Amino acid sequence: MSFESLLLMRHELLLLLAIVLLLIAEIGTNDSQKSIISPLAIILFALHTIVGFLPLQEGSLFGGMFNTTNIVATMKNILNLGVLIILLQSWKWLNAPENKVKVSEFYIVLFSTLLGMFYMISAGDFLMFYIGLEIATIPLAALAAFNRQENKSAEAGIKLLLSSALSSGILLYGISMIYGTTGSIYFAEISQSITGFEPLQVMAMIFFFSGMAFKISLVPFHLWTADVYEGAPVAITSYLSVISKGAAAFIFMVILFTVFKIFTPVWQDMMTAIAILTMTIGNLFALRQNNLKRYLAFSSIAQAGFILLGIISGTATGMATVVYFILVYIFSNLSAFGVVSIISAYTGKDSISDLNGMYKTNPKLSLALTLALFSLAGIPPVAGFFGKFFLFTAAAEKDFYILVLIALLNTIVSLYYYLMPVKAMFINKSELPIAYFKTDKISQLGLAISIIGMVVIGFASPVYETILSFCFGI
Amino acid sequence: MNVIFFYIIAAAILGFSILSVTSRKILRAATFLLFVLISTAALYFLLQVHFLAAVQLMVYAGGIAVLIIFSILLTSNVDFTFEKIDWKKQLFSGLLALGGAAITILTLLQFNFKALIQPQTVTPDIRSFGRAFLSYGDGGFVLPFEVITVLLLAAMVAAIMVAKKSKQ
Amino acid sequence: MFLYDFTQLTSSIHSSLVESFGEGALTTTIELAIAGVAYLIFFAVLGLFLVYLERKVCAFIQNRLGPMRVGPWGLLQTIADFIKLLMKELIYIKSADQFLFNVAPFIVITASFLAIGAIPFDKGLQVLDFDIGIFYVAAVSSLGVLGVLLAGWASNNKYSLIGAMRSGAQIVSYELSVGLSLMTIIVLAGTMQFSEIVAGQADLWFIFKGHIPAMIAFVIFLIAGTAETNRGPFDLAEAESELTAGFHTEYSGIKFALFFLAEYINMFIVASIATTVFLGGWMPLHIPGLEGFNHVMDFIPPVLWFFMKAFTVVFIMMWFKWTFPRLRIDQLLTLEWKYLLPLNLINIVLMAVVVLLGWHL
Repeated sequence: MSFESLLLMRHELLLLLAIVLLLIAEIGTNDSQKSIISPLAIILFALHTIVGFLPLQEGSLFGGMFNTTNIVATMKNILNLGVLIILLQSWKWLNAPENKVKVSEFYIVLFSTLLGMFYMISAGDFLMFYIGLEIATIPLAALAAFNRQENKSAEAGIKLLLSSALSSGILLYGISMIYGTTGSIYFAEISQSITGFEPLQVMAMIFFFSGMAFKISLVPFHLWTADVYEGAPVAITSYLSVISKGAAAFIFMVILFTVFKIFTPVWQDMMTAIAILTMTIGNLFALRQNNLKRYLAFSSIAQAGFILLGIISGTATGMATVVYFILVYIFSNLSAFGVVSIISAYTGKDSISDLNGMYKTNPKLSLALTLALFSLAGIPPVAGFFGKFFLFTAAAEKDFYILVLIALLNTIVSLYYYLMPVKAMFINKSELPIAYFKTDKISQLGLAISIIGMVVIGFASPVYETILSFCFGI
Repeated sequence: MNVIFFYIIAAAILGFSILSVTSRKILRAATFLLFVLISTAALYFLLQVHFLAAVQLMVYAGGIAVLIIFSILLTSNVDFTFEKIDWKKQLFSGLLALGGAAITILTLLQFNFKALIQPQTVTPDIRSFGRAFLSYGDGGFVLPFEVITVLLLAAMVAAIMVAKKSKQ
Repeated sequence: MFLYDFTQLTSSIHSSLVESFGEGALTTTIELAIAGVAYLIFFAVLGLFLVYLERKVCAFIQNRLGPMRVGPWGLLQTIADFIKLLMKELIYIKSADQFLFNVAPFIVITASFLAIGAIPFDKGLQVLDFDIGIFYVAAVSSLGVLGVLLAGWASNNKYSLIGAMRSGAQIVSYELSVGLSLMTIIVLAGTMQFSEIVAGQADLWFIFKGHIPAMIAFVIFLIAGTAETNRGPFDLAEAESELTAGFHTEYSGIKFALFFLAEYINMFIVASIATTVFLGGWMPLHIPGLEGFNHVMDFIPPVLWFFMKAFTVVFIMMWFKWTFPRLRIDQLLTLEWKYLLPLNLINIVLMAVVVLLGWHL
């Protein structure tokens, strides 16, 4: 192994460098110089994102523990874009006087979790996968409890920690069964040793499935989601709902496609049931929410159900649609969260009824939120429509017609609740609408990037085609 | 002889685990957990994997158990006991747990375990462990070894973040 | 002569047992019982002697005579004290957590029992010779702190609790320095097995072989080892002027005696590890080149060498206690985290450089 081959780990090494530089900056500055840390972190991360898009070779390192393929690199770039948008959107909130003391810690911990996700999605064995998963979840619990003095935030942190510990336990039990029956932790070797429907191995797969279902918050493993999303700061909620979920869904799909490919009929059946449950319950609960963050939490549960539609097909098209959907979902959800985050940073309000009559006072923000919700609902011309449409075709190709039908019905239900805030903003009258405020430039930039991405990606067909060319099926 | 010891240790692990989850005093539960961890280390000693046993003692018994006990010392007092749970709930969750355990055990028994490596051919000595930790080729573990340091760093910074107070 | 090599003695015991009971479980059980009883007796005698030694050394430093009345030079004093301790009432504390209160002293004493089993007193006079010897001792000695914490909490007494917390913080911190200073020597020795470490010092002790880094490591080990055994000047856990007796305030009779014994045994364990790792264990003092001198040294039995060195280290540790004033808790933690730990890390790198470049003797 030469040092040049370490370049395959470019994403990870650059991010690690950013973490170390931030640590040094935190140690080397005094209180009055702390204001440089935020710009420094964002500039470093933007550079890292740009360098990430340079072409990268495929290959594997460390005896197959670390693999880079084009699709993995693409996924990392998508996550990078999402995090960059979150960083820009959280600027205002993070630089508020009460949060200012922990700015550098926020960035260091956030970047570490992203690093964990990178290692998780390029893992070639269960050990690296698990370590990556833990780096991506344990520090997040602390981030969820960022405003520790607020009870809800502290509750969110401890709930996230406990539920992720439980799910890790289940996951590890499954992994230990696989190791016990095959004697290997490497994905490639395990997929060769699993030859038939051995009950114990099927059980291991079920444990693994349940553990991952916790992380992606699929029904019936979703109970932690709404409380954590509500209590955590908006930046962390958006991070949890798009970045964590996207990365976990991706590696979940890869492992099902490679390691458990013999059990495809089994997990397809399980997934059909869970997808139907997740979409339906997510949608039905979203109908009843008034708190914007809880509302988006249930909406993101429902969206996870849609992601399963792509995974279930088990084809290269299916994988491409999942990655594409994650990309679209990141942009649309972050647009929605961006508006919510700006509103809560400037006015401290976060319920749907507070939005009443907002179009009169803040027309631009109202339009942005409307577009975002259209995209989440899957209304053309925004990208969300194409994302969902591709998912449905991928599932239909493999004759999952009933599932697609139910998903379509759910989309109709979701239209109702995605339009509720729109109705509130444009039609409902209010005595005291949210007063006009001027959004700062950096938040505007963050919102603008996500909205432009959301609109443009729908029409830029090369994006989908490039992703499709990198993908593989069972 | 080894079989007898195995059953003694296994009984200790099971017994202390049950005590640990049924005890209604929190520090007692932690102490029983400590005994479970120590018994597990004993099991490793019986299997002649000394390194793993010492790691189990050092990390779990000497590290994690100390942390758990420390945090209990900081937060609770002697008189505190958990409330008693309704017997209906106890029955329901007990049956559920038993059912799950029964299914798992039945599946485990069905599997025809084959020894993949002959135990005599491997001597797990400390030097081979050290090489495996630091080698970067096939079967080397230097990458996870190093990535865990990131986890520890992140966890430490995260803990500082949660504990830090603003100056006002 | 078995004083020089205990393997003959142990193998003869083994063969005679095999003759009468045959190879199998029975022989193993009897051998285990013999070793256990031997260690118990050794524990008791050692504990009594160390307490006597402490009082004498203290008296010597304070220009007194110390115990003189019971037996010649007061030799039987500690035995008398011990009998008195055994006959004292075991006080039942109503508001304490009885189970934890009773189990705590046993955790402490078990930890020291497990640790002392790995110490080589002479060739063949060692029960556990793992290939991870030093690591094993570090691991099991980290269990002792649990007993202290439980004792402090279960007593339901604020002084005990404060003492236990201090002791916990102290032991957890200083464990790092103990481990790292031993690691420095592992770098030089290339093994963690005690028998190999001792064998590696046949020509010259490690403290001389590794010269500067080894000596720094030795000093750090002595300081951290003293702290880890909760002895003065680091005896904040039982600082009698502030906390009556710290974590064992509420204990009486034999349970108190167990804590007391464990403290002295732990001191001896630290001294034995220092002896084994730095001062050649049971190896006589050899200087390369001086053949005659080396032969003369060989006539002193290895067991004697071991105990001479160990008691010298014990004497130094007692000397610390009766010379230096007690530290405050913040000074204690500052000393460890800001001075000893960085110094230790640099020292390990220094030792690695020395070993790589072959600068050691």
